[in-house]
Amino acid sequence: MRALKAFLLGALAVGALAYALLTTLALTAQAGGHTLDVTIGPLVFVAVGEEGDAIVTTFGPGIVVLALVGGLANLAAAVLVRQRAAGRSDRVD
Amino acid sequence: MIAARDTLSLAPGVTVEHGRLTDAVRGDSWPLNASGAFVLARTGDPVGLIVQELADVFSLSDEAARADVLRFAWHLNVLALVNVESGASRSRRLADWVRLAARLAPAGAVPAAATRRRAIDTRTFRRAFGSCLAAISARVSVVAGVGTAVTAQLSLLAGASGLIVPLTLGLGTGVGLGFHEAAHAASLRGVPSALVTRGRRTYVLHAAVSPSRRSIVALAGPLAAAGLGMGLVVAGSIVVAPALAIAGCPLVAHALALTVVGGDGRVACGL
Repeated sequence: MRALKAFLLGALAVGALAYALLTTLALTAQAGGHTLDVTIGPLVFVAVGEEGDAIVTTFGPGIVVLALVGGLANLAAAVLVRQRAAGRSDRVD
Repeated sequence: MIAARDTLSLAPGVTVEHGRLTDAVRGDSWPLNASGAFVLARTGDPVGLIVQELADVFSLSDEAARADVLRFAWHLNVLALVNVESGASRSRRLADWVRLAARLAPAGAVPAAATRRRAIDTRTFRRAFGSCLAAISARVSVVAGVGTAVTAQLSLLAGASGLIVPLTLGLGTGVGLGFHEAAHAASLRGVPSALVTRGRRTYVLHAAVSPSRRSIVALAGPLAAAGLGMGLVVAGSIVVAPALAIAGCPLVAHALALTVVGGDGRVACGL
């Protein structure tokens, strides 16, 4: 349960922040009339492009991948913190 | 940093009765020895005067009395049981701080910040939220101002003009802090609580609650601030207002406090 909680909280935190930053970036590009492609290799995070007269913003699966990575990183950090805390209980300084 | 002209005051919720120091927020009390009771019976007097009186009554040297009083007062201040009230103006305090910082600089240290504890009324949800916001308003203004100044500087270095981005980022940073702590306080309805600031650190001190409620209290702050920020970002994208979305970003960044990097996240994960 603790592991699931750590994973979900990490995924939520990183996913929300990534979404907010990418939305703001796309919005700024859109307001300035620019196109934008935020990608890492084949992984698309956000793309702002022109379709006829309209400017279209598309969110790719990159945000979901980022959220999953955030969840796993938080889970790993939680395990590390718990191991260190457990190590302290039988230590005498 | 405690000066001779400063006075001590018991923090809100802290009382001295029958030779014991009682903290209503922590729900705990501690016995006082004769000199401790002597010092705390003179809250409101300048620390320099208390030192002289202690030296006279307990037949101590001035040095020993000063060290005794300062160590005791500082320890209680660190525990947020006593507030240090400065009689000097802000500019005088700043000058004193700079002078002390210059003396400590060769040792690579900076003057330790005093702790300040403020009352929060948690009788109702609205009172808890409002009283916490009122208690933290000065810090919110400072954070918003510093955030604006730093962002304006970076913005100028990047060659951008205009103050809208620095202002919205600064405002978002300040409001985020206030909203975060006020949401913690609101989730503590009916639980004795106080707002504590120490240097850069701000936290809500509260009486012991059940583990499940502790998790809820820990989650409330980051979730409320990040939720408000996400609302601003979404609203900004609907009305195509980048400034609104930019203001929301520092608030959404509070979501990082949900991870084990932040104290709230560690509590929420039961660590």
